[in-house]
Amino acid sequence: MSSGEQNPAVPAVRVTDLTVAYGDKTVLWDIDLEIPSGSMVAVVGPNGAGKTTLIKSIQGLVPRVAGVVSIHGKPYEKQRKEVSYVPQRGSVDWDFPTSVVDTVKMGSYGDLGWIRRPGKKEHEKALSALEKVDMLGFAQRQISQLSGGQQQRVFLARALVQSASVYLLDEPFQGVDATTEKAIVRILKELTAGGKTVLAVHHDLNTVSEYYERIAILNVGLVASGRVDEVFNSENLMKAYGGKTSFFPERKSAKRAV
Amino acid sequence: MLEFAVELFSDYTARTILLGAASLGIVSGVVGSYAVLRKQSLVGDVMSHAALPGIVLAFLIMGVKEQLPIFIGAALSAVLAVFLINLITSNSRVKTDSAMGMALSVFFGLGLVLLTYAQKMPDANQAGLDKFLFGQAEALVGKDVLVIGVTGLFALLVVGLFWKEFKLLCFDPDFGGTMGFSMKSLDLLVTAVIVSAIVIGLQTVGVVLMSSMLIAPAVAARQWTGGMGSMVILAALIAAVSGVTGVALSAGLENVPTGPAVIVCVSVIAFFSVLFSPNGFFTLRFKDARSRREIKKDYVLKALHDLALEHDDPGYAHSEKLLALGSEKGFNVRKSLLQLQEAGHVERAGEENWRLTPSGIREIRKLSPVGSNG
Repeated sequence: MSSGEQNPAVPAVRVTDLTVAYGDKTVLWDIDLEIPSGSMVAVVGPNGAGKTTLIKSIQGLVPRVAGVVSIHGKPYEKQRKEVSYVPQRGSVDWDFPTSVVDTVKMGSYGDLGWIRRPGKKEHEKALSALEKVDMLGFAQRQISQLSGGQQQRVFLARALVQSASVYLLDEPFQGVDATTEKAIVRILKELTAGGKTVLAVHHDLNTVSEYYERIAILNVGLVASGRVDEVFNSENLMKAYGGKTSFFPERKSAKRAV
Repeated sequence: MLEFAVELFSDYTARTILLGAASLGIVSGVVGSYAVLRKQSLVGDVMSHAALPGIVLAFLIMGVKEQLPIFIGAALSAVLAVFLINLITSNSRVKTDSAMGMALSVFFGLGLVLLTYAQKMPDANQAGLDKFLFGQAEALVGKDVLVIGVTGLFALLVVGLFWKEFKLLCFDPDFGGTMGFSMKSLDLLVTAVIVSAIVIGLQTVGVVLMSSMLIAPAVAARQWTGGMGSMVILAALIAAVSGVTGVALSAGLENVPTGPAVIVCVSVIAFFSVLFSPNGFFTLRFKDARSRREIKKDYVLKALHDLALEHDDPGYAHSEKLLALGSEKGFNVRKSLLQLQEAGHVERAGEENWRLTPSGIREIRKLSPVGSNG
């Protein structure tokens, strides 16, 4: 059950031959990816590279044309409880009539199963997750009153309630304030330090080296994946982004050398 | 009026009808909340209109105006319309709104054609089939109310059992899917519940206006509350009250079909809620105007203070014209000054001159806790 029992030699996430298409458009092509247990991984790539689709197809939210996904060595379908999902903040309607604590409680629905309602235990869990993201004071607030950063923290708290061992996050830093970004990074680093695995779609190439130890560079196909210091270079970024990126880590380090 | 009410409630037939209207209201309020929260209000509209051909076909096939076959016919054709919408949108480039518009007009048009045909038949049995258009609550008998009650209870039971799953479906279906809940089944279940609410509303409210019975109470309730549970309960209450009032109106006035009477009631409540609820149109306007007034007053107070400080005397009087100089065109300085005078923060010093009172000076300290703005 808990991540402590996972064999660290077996990758937390293994994607084999994954191909996804919408209609006649190929969105992901033959992806092979291994995410070691306890690592923090950025998924980067240009718009339309299939980053969100990768996160979704790992969880079976979009149909795969081909490919297998395993979590800690077993098929995803059998390991749902090991995976927790933080969707893009903009994917839901924040005008929905519900409170912050009730939204966070949704993370416990999977453990409860069909029909059973959350009780006191789930409430406590939700509150302690809110405390972790510094949002305890907002527990009874309407979600419509939250700022972008607060919305993102609520989503993260909801994922924390799931007590999974693999966290899949879709653009967790999209449109959030600097304080929230720091808070989220701190929590994610705590998670990986505790043996959990984090896979996050990331946009800001400037912070990749600071936040992540591993990276997967994507553009329909997988351009490169591995340790940030080994594969996060201009050559791979050129392959993924074409001439559209002006960001090269070399330039940054060159400056530092001067 | 009171006499009329007493008469209405003491009469068995009237009680039956009112009970039917109230139960229908409760069910459509609850179920309609889901249509609104899923942003599928229009689907309810399509489904209720699309029930018409099913109603007439059921009659044509059975040859009698029997309730159960008519319900089944109505439900089948409503579901068929939704199925066709999904088929069209997923297999062509036609967008959902166009597909819904098409389905609504095609099904309703077909229903009207069939209805005209059925009414031309010599059989007197078809009489009253057109009542399904706008509803006729007076025709409700004990058996009808029983069917409404049982169907309604089924719908409420489903909503009660799958409360948390439906919440996931409405708020974040993708997230629900990753936890192993089948969103497809839940979607079907919600559709089934909506269809059953529509079917039991056919006799009372009619196919044309049934969708308002689903949508308006939920919209009205949403204006007053921020919780899903309270919204659903309030919507049920609003719809039940409207149902009962509408039926009473239609019974009291000659030749007013029940559907329109009920819908007028529910629309009045919905409009009132949208305009006057704590987040309503007028309430927000009022709050806006108030805060604008406060800002202007603070501005004038501060300007008076700044000018006075140049004379090292916070109580130094200045001309109104001088205050108006530094402000925008159309800004009525006099009005703000009079408001401040009423609050005791400023006082007149001659015809056009004003000065801060000690209370005004205290007020300005509150505004800028740093003290002077030097």
